[in-house]
Formats: sequence, C-alpha cells, structure tokens
Amino acid sequence: MSGATAPGTGAASGPGRALVALYGVLAIAATSRSGVQILRDFDAAPLAYSLSAAAALVYVVATVALARGARRVAWVAVCFEAVGVLVVGTLSLVRPELFPDATVWSGFGIGYGFVPLVLPALGLWWLVRTRDGRPTPDGAVAR
Amino acid sequence: MLVTAAGAALLGGWAAWRTVRDRPVILRQLIAAAVVEGLLAVQVVVGLVAVARGGGPADGPTFWGYLVTTLFVLPVAAAWAFAERTRWSSVVLLVAALTVVFLQFRVVQVWTGA
Repeated sequence: MSGATAPGTGAASGPGRALVALYGVLAIAATSRSGVQILRDFDAAPLAYSLSAAAALVYVVATVALARGARRVAWVAVCFEAVGVLVVGTLSLVRPELFPDATVWSGFGIGYGFVPLVLPALGLWWLVRTRDGRPTPDGAVAR
Repeated sequence: MLVTAAGAALLGGWAAWRTVRDRPVILRQLIAAAVVEGLLAVQVVVGLVAVARGGGPADGPTFWGYLVTTLFVLPVAAAWAFAERTRWSSVVLLVAALTVVFLQFRVVQVWTGA
C-alpha cells in the first residue's frame, strides 16, 4: 500500500520504484567506471571512454527523470539509451577496431549482464504503460 | 568475502521468493540485511588494517571505491522498504542484494589484482 503517492509523482513508487533502483545502480556503476577510465588513461581509447561518459550521464538523467516524473526528459533519455546500446552494440561486433576498450554498451551490454539492453526496454514499457493519466497498478495517476 | 557474498545471495533469494509471493519486505529481512552490512563493515576494518601494515589491495582506489559504494546499497534498499509496502520493495531488495553479490566479486578480484 503506497497510499502516500500523490498524482503525478513519477516512478518513485510501485513498480516504478524497482525501475528507478535498477537505473540508479547502472548510473552509479557507469559513472564511476567512466570516471576512473577518463582520469587514468583517456588517451588509450578516447572514443570508447567519451561514449561511456556520455552514456553514464544519460543514465543519471534517466534515473532522476523517472524518479521525479519528468516524463519528457525520461522519454528522451531512455530512447537515447535504447538507440545507443543497439548502435554501439552492433558496431562493437562489426567494427571492433573502433573500440580498443569496452564501453558500457559494447556487445549489447554484455559486461553488465545485458542490463543496459534490458533497461531501456523496461523504461519504455513503463513510460507507455503509465501515459495518458492512466492509473499505475498501485493506484497512482501518471501525468 | 565469500561469506558476505553468500549471505547477500541468500538475502536475494529470500527477496525473490517474497516477490513471487507478492509480499513486501519484512523486518526479519532487514535484520538479515543488517548482518550482511555488518560483514561489509568487517571488510572495511580488515582492509584498513592490511593497508596500515603495508599490505592491502593491489589496486587501492578501485578497491575502496567498490567497497564504500557497496556499503550504501543495502541501507538505501532498506529505506525504500519502509516507504514502499508492496511487493516492489522485495524487487528493490532483490536488486540491491544482487548488486552486493556482484560488487563483492569485484572487490575480491581487485584485492587479488586479477
């Protein structure tokens, strides 16, 4: 019972809470890793590390947007991730020489247990399911 | 470290079971989480002692980054468990427990320099 949930509170309750938790874990993992990569040896793989940093930033944005119910921002961020993991995942297999070191999206996120591939799908599913003010399963009304 | 990982895995299994049963996190699970958290605190002490003796992890900053991050995972899940009295708190605890298991394996790898 999450009766305290006011209309339009975003994903910070019910199933959305699990989504935010997953996004939060991935955001922290990707941000820390790319921070270490860039600080230690950026020159080793500039493209891969820049991509990792951009991806990490968008995961943070998506986490916050989902948690706070900023749906438009969440749409953009989640779509960016979906496109990113598909494009970079494919490129990393077809043209591995582009990426001397792995990014969060390489091999469709295999280094992260394919979580980067599954999460955008879950995120889009959640956004579609809760749009048009339809009530979420726990009774909260989405914006 | 293996004991901690095993404890977190058990906690994750318990949370998964309660997710399937459509039940929220209960106090007994939070006590179990506190035990795992205590084991993590022991690791911090052991790590600090090892460093003070001139030993310690092969890759210091990464090791401490992982270990300190791990410390925050279960308390956040526990806080959410109080706010979210549905099965979804069990899902969050499951995610948190799996994260701890994974981070523990990384901690071991980084300690040994593998």
